[in-house]
This record gives sequence, C-alpha cells and structure tokens, in this order.
Amino acid sequence: MIVEEVKAQAEPRRFTPKDDMPVEYRKAATRMLEFHANSEIMGAYLERPFIRRAPSLERKMAFSAKTQDEIGHGQMLYRAAESLGIKTREEMLDDLANGDGKFLNCFHYPMESYAETPMIAFFVDGAAMRRQATLKKSSWEPYAHAMDKICFEEGMHVKHGESILRELMSGSKREQEMVQDAFEEWWPRILQFFGPTDDQSTHHDFAAEVGLKVSSNDELRNSFLNRYMEKAKHYGLEIPDEPRIRERDDGTYDVVEDDLDWDEFFTVSQNEYDGSIEQITGRAQAQEAVQWVRSMMDNPTSTPNRSAQAAD
Amino acid sequence: MSATDADLGRPEDLSERERKAVEAQLFRLADDEYVQAERYTFWQVRSPTLESDLAISNNAQDELGHARLWYDAIQQLGYSEEDLLWESDPSDFQHATFVELPFEEGQWANAIVRAYLYDVAEDIRLAAVEDSSYRVIRERASRAQGEEGYHVEHARSWLERLAADADASERAQEAIDELYPYALTLFEPVGAVESDIVELGIRTQTLDEMRTEWENRIVDTLSELGFSVPTDADVASPIGRDNEHTDAWHSLHEEMTSEYRDLGRDSATVIMDPEDE
Repeated sequence: MIVEEVKAQAEPRRFTPKDDMPVEYRKAATRMLEFHANSEIMGAYLERPFIRRAPSLERKMAFSAKTQDEIGHGQMLYRAAESLGIKTREEMLDDLANGDGKFLNCFHYPMESYAETPMIAFFVDGAAMRRQATLKKSSWEPYAHAMDKICFEEGMHVKHGESILRELMSGSKREQEMVQDAFEEWWPRILQFFGPTDDQSTHHDFAAEVGLKVSSNDELRNSFLNRYMEKAKHYGLEIPDEPRIRERDDGTYDVVEDDLDWDEFFTVSQNEYDGSIEQITGRAQAQEAVQWVRSMMDNPTSTPNRSAQAAD
Repeated sequence: MSATDADLGRPEDLSERERKAVEAQLFRLADDEYVQAERYTFWQVRSPTLESDLAISNNAQDELGHARLWYDAIQQLGYSEEDLLWESDPSDFQHATFVELPFEEGQWANAIVRAYLYDVAEDIRLAAVEDSSYRVIRERASRAQGEEGYHVEHARSWLERLAADADASERAQEAIDELYPYALTLFEPVGAVESDIVELGIRTQTLDEMRTEWENRIVDTLSELGFSVPTDADVASPIGRDNEHTDAWHSLHEEMTSEYRDLGRDSATVIMDPEDE
C-alpha cells in the first residue's frame, strides 16, 4: 500500500498487521505508540513512592493497583507498537533507559508531597482520558483495541484521583493550601500536556491524514478545559490568573501561549530538564541493577555443580 | 467438627484469656502480611521485566488484601485503623523481623527466596488456623488460602529458573544463607499466650510443629534444586514478634506514616464502593 492509498482508506480500526503498510505509516504509528507506552512506564515511576506513603491502607492498595495497571498498559502498548515491525520492545525499553525515549511532559516533574498526587491522578489522567478516548478510533487496529481496556482502567484511575482531591479539599485548611500550591505549580504543565497549538505542532498533519490521530491538540485541550476547570472550581481550587485563558464566543478556549514557558517545555521534550534526568536516571539504574535477571532469561548458562535443570 | 464444638463465639463473648490469645494470633497474621506486602511493593516499576513487575504487584496486593482482612478482624475487638497503622509506634508491631528486611536494587534473587520461604510458611500457618475455634479467623483463613497457593507456585518456578543458571544460582544460595536465620523468626514463640493459642484451639498446630513442616518442605524443594539449606543456623535477632525490631523497620515505619503526619490527619480513609461516589 502506498501512502496515498492509506490516506484514502483511513478510517477507525481500518488497518491491521495483515495489511502491507508503508514505512511512513509504520514509523508514525510506532512513534505514537512508543511515546504512549513510555509515558505509562514513567507515569508509574513517578507515582510509585506514594504506594509506600499513602495515608490509609485502602489508598495504599489503590496506588499499588494503579501503578500495576500502568505497567500493564505499557506492556499492551509496546506489543501494539512491536506489531508494526519497526522496533522491538527491548529496543524501546533500552531507549527509554538511555534517555532517547520520549514521554509526556508531566511525567518529568517528580512529586514531593501527597497533596500533589491528584495533579497526576486527576488532572493529568483526566487529560489523558480525553486523548485516549479519541484513539479508540485510530486507524491502527491494535492501537484502538488496546485503548478499549486502557480507557476502562483509566476511568477508575481518574475516580481514584478525584476521590483524593475531594478528600484533601474537604480536609484541614493546611491540606487545602497544600493542594492549591500544587495546583498553581502544575496547572501550566497540565495546559502544556496537549502540546503546542495546532499551527505550531510538527507531527499532527501526517498522523491525522492517515487516521492514526483523530483529534487535534486544540480540540483536546478545549474538551479538557470545558470539564476540568469547572471540576477544579467545584472542589474549591482557584484557577491561577496566568496563563490567561480566554473563553471565545463559541464556548471554546484560547490559552495565551506566550504565558506558558515553551523553552522549558522543549527542554522537557528533549529529556534535558533536571527532573527528566532525575526520573530517567532513577529508573535506568533500577533496570540496570536487574540486567542480570534479563540476561539469565535470554541465555541461561549451565550449572554443572547443581542437579537442577531449567523447568519445563 | 471439634473446632466448632469448642467455638469461642463472637468477639464480645471472649473471656479475657481468650481475647488475648485471639489478638496475639491476629496481630501476627496481620502485621506479617502488611509488612511483607510493603516490601514487595519495592519491586513495583523496578522488576526485571514488565511481566515480573505485574506478577509481584499481584502478590503485593493479595497480601495487602489479607492484611486488611486481619486488621478488620482486629478492629472487631475495638481497635481502629488509626490506632493500628497510623498513630501507633513502630514497636507496637509484632511481625517477624524476616518480613521487614529491606531490599536493595538488583536483589531479585533475594526477593524470590524471601517470597518462597514466606509463602510456604504462610501456607502452613493458614492451614493451621483453617479449623480455628474463632470463627472470624476460620472463615478468613480459607479466603486467603486460595491465593497463597499461587504465590508458592510463583516463587517456586522462579527458583527453578535461578537454579538453572550459574550466576543466578549463586545469588540465590547467598540469599538462602542470609535469610534462613531470619525466616526462623516466623516461628518464634512469645510469652505465655503461646500455649493458650493452641489450648484454646485458635490454631491447631504448635509453632514447633509448623516449623518442622516448613523445614521439611523447603529442604526438600531447595535441595532438589541443588541448593543447600543451613538448617543448623540459629534464629536471627531481634525476632520482631516480641516488638523488638531492626532499624530498617523503624525507618520504613517512619516513611509509611510520613504523609499521614505531614497532612495532620486524624483519620484514615476507607474508600467507599466506587458505585456510591
């Protein structure tokens, strides 16, 4: 199939590994899936300290389950990415460890306090839900298929995040202030979650033309703002004055791009921000420490001094 | 069934002596599972592969679920989650020192050996309380038992893999040598309540009987896999059961309760059914 045919035929779940897809399509789909899978892993890495620190037994269980879900999502998405024949999972995981793999901007900022956790678990996951729901209509069937299960579980995660937010915001004054501080710090990053406005986005055109992506950054940001600004206010959070957000006559929002720190955003995107280095290196070290296990699984050596053999 | 004949009745029916014995058994069950689970979660997003990460997370959550069952049973005796987990001192806990030992990155063989030694002991202990004279323990033990069977299988199949590789089997052997004396802390008796637990039928096996069964099972399996077991080793110290713990527990407890304190909380959240929210 040539690119023009793909564009002509593009519709939800149209293409499967049985189709002979052009390399341009396969590369674009790999790029999206790898980014998405990496983000699941790095999101899990960001939240893992709160399994230990969660302030109730049931919250601990929920954080453990959520972290596990994210790893499961990563596993599914890497599989869908591998089915494109461009990169193996090992290559993608190696790239993530060595700093070449890219992932969502919000997962480059370590969290210090429990009061920050709803910034990820409610706002960022809520934003991710917006995007992921549209990807159920992706033209790459394995991607769309993975989104069915992932969206279901993400729905639970957003509820978990909302429940933590509600609890903190109906807690002591100190708790409320901690959350408001966290919100002011995270809000610009959350707005940048959807990337630059459409006219400045480099990858959108091709991915949209071949049906990999069905909504633009602007549409998704709008849909998120419509719902989540109200939610934030409902729980008693004050939306910061900057970045300025103007409501247009048609009910959509215009975020003043100049109020956002795009230098930081692009530093983050290149994995060069301090937080990026901290998160990537921390995870890479943990992975390096168990390299001996992976080597053993790939290539067990014989043990003449022991009677045991590989189980089978 | 003899256990039912000697049924201790409801929480409020317990005599002072019975209540002390029931509590002692419940605290061991609850604290062991809670701290073992906590240490498992160290491996979340740190396991060698995505698949092993998912598997060890499952075990962690199973154990947390069991801990919740046992703490809930303790709460029927008048305690609250806050008393038990969030506003207590680290020295209030009665888990065996074995489960509180910290992991370092890369110590996967240690994690597997620890899981195996623990899961076999847990399997034996649950069997010993299946016919408990205290109904709450009896019923909850059988709920937990199903999952423990999978845990033993999981650890065992990993041990087989480790045994088949020269470098990995050395790491596993080191872990066995290091952990065995600590594993014995699971079977350490504490005080006069010990004989009451068995006399009152709260548990149908003595700790000595359980330890012998455990030793037979693990020595069989491990020697079949080519490992040696230091069965003449003495039990490690401190033992934990008597509320004496290692520094590792004190710092873990500090970390686990840090947000509760920082937020100035005075109650722990019980999550409602999501349907009700």
